[in-house]
Amino acid sequence: MSTQGPSIHDTGALFQIAEPEERRAPARAPGRGIGIDLGTTNSLVALAPHGDDPKVLADGEGRALLPSVVSYVGDRVIVGDAAQAQQEEAPGQVVSSVKRFMGRGLSDVDFTHPYHLVAPSQGAGVLRLDVGAEGEPHLVTPVEVSAEILRVLRLRAEDALGGPIDGAVITVPAYFDDAQRQATRDAGRIAGLNVYRLLAEPTAAALAYGLDRGGQGLFAVYDLGGGTFDVSVLRLHDGVFQVLATGGDSALGGDDLDRALAAHLLGRAGFDETRPPTRHQRELARIAARAAKEALSEQGEVRVSVAACGIDDLAVTRATFEELIEPLVQRTIRACRAALRDAGVRARELDGVVLVGGSTRVPRVRAAVEETFGRPPLTDIDPDKVVAYGAAIQADILSGSAREGVTLLDVVPLSLGIETMGGIVEKLIPRNATIPIAARQVFTNYSEQQTGMQIHVVQGERELASDCRSLARFELRGIPRLPPSMARVEITFQLDADALLTVTARELMTGVRQSVEVKPTYGLSEEEVDRLVMESYDHASDDYAARNLAEARVELGRVALAVRTALAEVGHLTAILPAEERASIEAALVSADALMREASEAEAVNAARVEIERRSEPFARRRMERALLAGMEGKSLHEIESVLAAEEEHLDERRGGHSAEVIDG
Amino acid sequence: MSAARDLRGMPTITITGRAAKVMRDQLQRRGTPNARIRFGIRGGGCTGYAYLFEFEDREPRANDHVFTKDGVTLIVDPKSMLMLDGTEIDFETGIRGHGFRFKNPNVQDSCGCGESISF
Repeated sequence: MSTQGPSIHDTGALFQIAEPEERRAPARAPGRGIGIDLGTTNSLVALAPHGDDPKVLADGEGRALLPSVVSYVGDRVIVGDAAQAQQEEAPGQVVSSVKRFMGRGLSDVDFTHPYHLVAPSQGAGVLRLDVGAEGEPHLVTPVEVSAEILRVLRLRAEDALGGPIDGAVITVPAYFDDAQRQATRDAGRIAGLNVYRLLAEPTAAALAYGLDRGGQGLFAVYDLGGGTFDVSVLRLHDGVFQVLATGGDSALGGDDLDRALAAHLLGRAGFDETRPPTRHQRELARIAARAAKEALSEQGEVRVSVAACGIDDLAVTRATFEELIEPLVQRTIRACRAALRDAGVRARELDGVVLVGGSTRVPRVRAAVEETFGRPPLTDIDPDKVVAYGAAIQADILSGSAREGVTLLDVVPLSLGIETMGGIVEKLIPRNATIPIAARQVFTNYSEQQTGMQIHVVQGERELASDCRSLARFELRGIPRLPPSMARVEITFQLDADALLTVTARELMTGVRQSVEVKPTYGLSEEEVDRLVMESYDHASDDYAARNLAEARVELGRVALAVRTALAEVGHLTAILPAEERASIEAALVSADALMREASEAEAVNAARVEIERRSEPFARRRMERALLAGMEGKSLHEIESVLAAEEEHLDERRGGHSAEVIDG
Repeated sequence: MSAARDLRGMPTITITGRAAKVMRDQLQRRGTPNARIRFGIRGGGCTGYAYLFEFEDREPRANDHVFTKDGVTLIVDPKSMLMLDGTEIDFETGIRGHGFRFKNPNVQDSCGCGESISF
């Protein structure tokens, strides 16, 4: 992350006339952003160009869902339904559910799979799958396999748009860690996609329902996918979704409902342990069960025939099906209750429940969700497509399309900072910095009595916090008792691509930390930004005077406190402080107190500080010498000098600690 | 803070004849001979102060300070003016390349190593 424009590092710098900011903004292609739901079982791509309603793109045969399956049989790469068709004959060469391997190491793979895994060599590199035929190793990484799926979706979108796409939003589970997210980004890049952003799946579903428009709220997202179950509790605050808790079961999905029904069908057809069905029969029964499950969502009874299994016109009622799946449904409900508990949210506090995944069409599932959360779930949007829709809407916004109620920002419209002693604003992120951006600055304590620090996050161009917008306040407690300016508190501002600001305060000795998230642009109109900037121009000279005064008062207060502390400690020792000198210092302190109350100009306050420093300098010197002698008895002058030099260096370090830096990102 | 004191008089920016000529040539070459040039200070806080020096196609705003030299118009916003008052803009050519040099009397070298500068 570089700073904006040339910074004044060197008075010898030569400057050129630059083009104005607007012309340097990155080129965008409104309407050419796509949303991708990269699922464990199926993947989809959707478009919502120029603020339109989102639609999922189908392949040439009208199929919207692309099975997340990649076949390497015969050294050809095939993706989707055709790959799935080869899975039975060459299970080791056809990769399905590759999402489970994304960003994982060998030790993370605790689930069953038919692949031959190759561990990374000497800790370097990533896990690979050998998808070659017998004796002909062909190693691929999970990232490469995912990239094949993404490439097919990219081509599908390019066909629909009649040209190249600008960028993509790809969804990931809310619980994905950094490695899993990075692997997903890498897959996008390998597939030739400019990944605008990764979006959490539950957040995408909530966006598809437009739940963000309310500004605030608590929501649950129940996602019963093909092979996985996830539940998330989201909090919407100032238009930004935050995942409060996630839960689920990575070994439970809609396919398990099919399997439960298939086992029942096979049992009724006379199969058991002594007479097990063949793999082929099992597969046919599963396909029939899936169709029966779907039919039972609409009707009370269905008749099933699978000739190869000897199943002939077998009647299955919805009641039977519900009985079969009840243990599975109860497992999802337990996970929901746990997620609510983890989030510290009561079911009745929720403002909405969103359903994701085809199996949430099953009436028993819906009823169980309604019982658990105490409200009917949102079901208007196709649960297979809702995540892709949300991703498409987000991608459209990021492509630069104008959408109602959405403003996309590339730059920080108003400076962000914190209030320091005396009500002065210390700006950490300046106005017009491009986002994302992060900055940190180290602050010190004012007195030894200070064990907490109030962090007041403000926004604006004015010099005093009272003239800026207040964004958030929080307190960092547990700062160790240390002499003035010895405790170090690092404040980090992190503004992400969504313009969501995370402010973290951390005491560097104890590591105690506290943080807060705010959206600085929430409720801020362009007119207001203009007004606030113009105000800062109008008040520029007053503001500087006020800031100088406030700074002078802080400095005077600091010096007066230090001198008073020293007086209380050793002021009674006349060898260090003769009585007349003490009187002179105390007189200066008294007039300083008066100035602290009354002064309206920095000059007078600074003069009072200089006066105290001048009068107390001999006292300070004698006090220091005494302290050193006490600690240095029997040491050479050389040793004493080196200790003094170290002390001086330490002081410099502390002073240096006050300058902020932009973190490379 | 000498800038606050200077504000009581009329703030000034001096553009040397050589600098004005280069500005005029560059405006011509850009195809906007009547555009202005905006001079300012941006930032503060963590990224340090930075000069802003760019073409300005819009009209000056009500509070802007406007300076002209040999047919070239330079615009400075009032806040930046506090830190730019008295600056001379010159144009230099030399072994280190060529470009505009800002001789700004408000800059206070704070650390002595020349790495960072404050007002």
